[in-house]
Amino acid sequence: MTRTMTRYLRLAWFLGGVGLHRLAAYRTDFVLGAGAFLVRVGIQTAVVGLVFRQVPAVGGWSYHEVLFLLGFSLLPRGLDHLFTDQLWELGRKLVQRGEFYRYLVRPVDPLFSLLSERFFHPDGLGELLVGAVLVAYAGSELGLSLTAVQWALAPALVLCGALLHTSVKLFFASLSFWTVTSMPAMYAASQVSEFSSYPLDIYHPTLRTLLTWILPFAFTAYVPSVYLLTGVTGLLGWLPLMTAGALALALTVWRRGVDRYEMTGS
Amino acid sequence: MTARLRRYVPFATSGLQSLLQYRSMFAMTAMTAAAGAAVTVFLWRAVYEGTPGRGPGGFTVAEITTYLLVAQILQVLHSNRVDDEVAAEVYRGDVAVMLVRPVSYPVMRFFACLPVVGANAVLVGLPVLGLFALIVPLSAPRPADLLLFALSTALSVLLAFCVNLLTGMTGFLTTNTWGVRMVKQSVVAFFAGQLVPIALMPGPLAALATALPFRGMVDGPLTLLLGRYDGWAGAAGLLAQQLAWVAGLSLLCAALWRAALGRLEVLGG
Repeated sequence: MTRTMTRYLRLAWFLGGVGLHRLAAYRTDFVLGAGAFLVRVGIQTAVVGLVFRQVPAVGGWSYHEVLFLLGFSLLPRGLDHLFTDQLWELGRKLVQRGEFYRYLVRPVDPLFSLLSERFFHPDGLGELLVGAVLVAYAGSELGLSLTAVQWALAPALVLCGALLHTSVKLFFASLSFWTVTSMPAMYAASQVSEFSSYPLDIYHPTLRTLLTWILPFAFTAYVPSVYLLTGVTGLLGWLPLMTAGALALALTVWRRGVDRYEMTGS
Repeated sequence: MTARLRRYVPFATSGLQSLLQYRSMFAMTAMTAAAGAAVTVFLWRAVYEGTPGRGPGGFTVAEITTYLLVAQILQVLHSNRVDDEVAAEVYRGDVAVMLVRPVSYPVMRFFACLPVVGANAVLVGLPVLGLFALIVPLSAPRPADLLLFALSTALSVLLAFCVNLLTGMTGFLTTNTWGVRMVKQSVVAFFAGQLVPIALMPGPLAALATALPFRGMVDGPLTLLLGRYDGWAGAAGLLAQQLAWVAGLSLLCAALWRAALGRLEVLGG
């Protein structure tokens, strides 16, 4: 058991390094990708700024509180983006072009094998960095002082959020085993995740229910931010349960998909 | 002239046929459009909450809701996939095949994107509009304004085609057109007034947005739809500005396309 673990960790480390070499090889591409990301977040922040030019509070949230939420939402997203974006390829074309078999013939778990093809997507680093800066800035403007428990929980909250993002992505990518390509569904889900950058309180109740219990993006930023900002635990207790549930569901769909693919493979 | 244009009709019909094979695509586009609209609509409705009558920028709640919703639908009409396809064909070298045909590649692309625009309007725009009409109050436009809006929307589709063609042409320079497209999308959405109406921007930013061509893509048509213009002269001025940008960008596209082809190298025989 520990031997397999160390083997996987060493492989991940090595392949991550290989991924980093791409930065040097395709420098313009990297700069363009990171720059594109900065422009996107910059515009998102500008929209929040323009909203708060009109009113002091939106849905009971102040300007700096919304900035904190926006920044926090980038942390789990960036972490997920950094390691699992190869799943987009699965949804987009791997099944469609019949290329998926190559992950089944390698002597590692197929999911690891798929992700390891590109273990390190540097665009995610930009998201993490901007998110951290926004959170730190908004936190200091709010005079936020976290308790020891909050400090201890914060990394776990980010990790759970990242796992939720990964679960949703894995779920929709795995649908491609049945539908040949699931890129549009993945795109739709990632568009829905944009909701998590703003306070849940402003949305229609139906939408709130959807974002909490069906596509649980509320748990990636809103629930943790409420806890960190106000100390109110609210839905926090559900966070580990939702994460575990989402991950289990996504892995089940993935496994079924892989089995199905083997049956029909050429 | 008509004989020359008739040459391009097959590109439009074949575009339509390939579209109809992926009908589920429309459901997904509708979902993403509805999601995008919901984010901005609810965000701004929270701002206008508790302001009876006219709030910031002189919009009523129903007007700002209509503005943001129709803005999102216009954006769906503008996503004609030209940027994506041109970029891919350029850097894969497939564009060479097109060059041996007796048609102009940009014009061919324009005809191929027309069915995409039409299908998006009917299969995505109308359902999303209907869905939101059930949930939130919208403001009904005057018939004359609706007519002006239709005219302006046609021009905005042309503008979007030019902007997307120019974006696709960056494929001549870089392989990371994904990054370029993302920048274009964010910048255009912002300066077109899709996320924040230009009337709500601070002075200098509003001036910049008004001067850029993107204004004619969203804010222009919506100013006409909501009747926020200054008499007939004001409406004519808006349309003239759009028309001028369409002409200017078309010339720019033609000139750059010619220059780029002069430098194009495609491997293989």
